[in-house]
Amino acid sequence: MQSKSVYKVPNGKLLKIFLEYNEKNNSIKNIEITGDFFAYPEEAIEILEKKLKNTSLKRNSLLEKINSVIKENNIEFIGLNPEGLTEGILMCLK
Amino acid sequence: MKEKWRLLKTEDNTASTNMAIDRAVLVSCSKGKVSPTVRFYTWKPPAISIGYFQSLAEEVDLDICKKLGVDYVRRITGGGAVFHDNELTYSIVIPESHYQIPKNIIESYGRICGAVMKGLKHLGIESKYAPINDIITNGKKISGNAQTRKAKTVLQHGTVLMDVDVDKMFSLLVVPNEKIKDKMIADVKQGVTSIKQILGRNINFEETAKAMKLGFEEEFNVELVKGTLTREEIELSKKYEKECFSTRDWNFRR
Repeated sequence: MQSKSVYKVPNGKLLKIFLEYNEKNNSIKNIEITGDFFAYPEEAIEILEKKLKNTSLKRNSLLEKINSVIKENNIEFIGLNPEGLTEGILMCLK
Repeated sequence: MKEKWRLLKTEDNTASTNMAIDRAVLVSCSKGKVSPTVRFYTWKPPAISIGYFQSLAEEVDLDICKKLGVDYVRRITGGGAVFHDNELTYSIVIPESHYQIPKNIIESYGRICGAVMKGLKHLGIESKYAPINDIITNGKKISGNAQTRKAKTVLQHGTVLMDVDVDKMFSLLVVPNEKIKDKMIADVKQGVTSIKQILGRNINFEETAKAMKLGFEEEFNVELVKGTLTREEIELSKKYEKECFSTRDWNFRR
C-alpha cells in the first residue's frame, strides 16, 4: 500500500512523506522523508529512511526508532523533530 | 590589523555552476587552501533551487520551467524552493572553528544574517532576523538563507531580493491545491518584499553587492579583498557540475 502525507510541523517546516507499507503486519516497506526542513548532517536522512524499514507503524515504535537513529548518528534537526516526523508518518495511514 | 577574507563576485552563472562553485569553495576552505570566502552572485538563466530534502517533481513545474527557460538545481543545503531572478545571492564559507562562528547552528544563522542586515542598512533598510532562516523588513521576507556544515566547514548561502515577481514564481512551483492557489499567491505577495519595493526605485547587482560587502565587513570586523577562484577550485567546480549538479541522478534523487 502506498500513501503520502503533508504535515506542517508545529513551529517548524512543511514535511511531505511518501510511504509504502505492509498492510498485513502494519510496518514500513519504504519511506521517503521530504520537505523544507534542515538536518545535519544532511546525508543522515538516508540512513534514517533505511533504518525505518520494517518498523511497526505504531507511535511508540516509530518514536523509539527515530530517537535511536538520531542518537546513533548525531543528527540535528531544525524545523523538524522526532514527534513531528512520527506524526507525519502516521498521517499517511489516515 | 583586520583579518582579510576573500571576496568573489561571479555574475551570471547557471544553476549547476553556482552550486558547484559553492561546494568547491567549501572543499578548498576545509583543506585550508583558501581564507574564509564571501561570494556574491547571480543566476543566468533565472533558476529555481530546491532544498536538499525536497522532491523536485513535487515542488517544481518542470514543463513551465522549460517553457520559460528557467533552470533548476538541488542544493546541498536544506530549506525550501527558491526562484532566483532579480536578486543578489551570497555565500559564505568559513571553518566551523573560526571564533566568529557560533557552534550552535541557529546562532550561527543569526550571526551570518546579521551581515546581510547590516548590508541592507547601508541601503537605508531596517530589517531583523526571523528564525529559523529568514530576514524580514516591515514583517515581510526580504532574504532567505540556508546553511550546511561539512568537513568542519560552514557554508551558508542566501538571497537578497532586489525585485520580486510573485506571479511568475508561483507559475513555476507546484501548488497542490489549485483552489487555494489565488489565496496562496495573495498571502505570499503580502509576505514577501524586495529592495525595489521598499526604496521605490530600481537597484542593480553592483549597488547591492557594495552594500553587502560593507555589511559583511562590519559584522565580522574583517576586510573583504576581491579575489578569484583558484585553479583547483575551478577544476573542482567543473567536476562537481558534471558529476553532480547537472545530473538527473542528483536533481531527481528525491
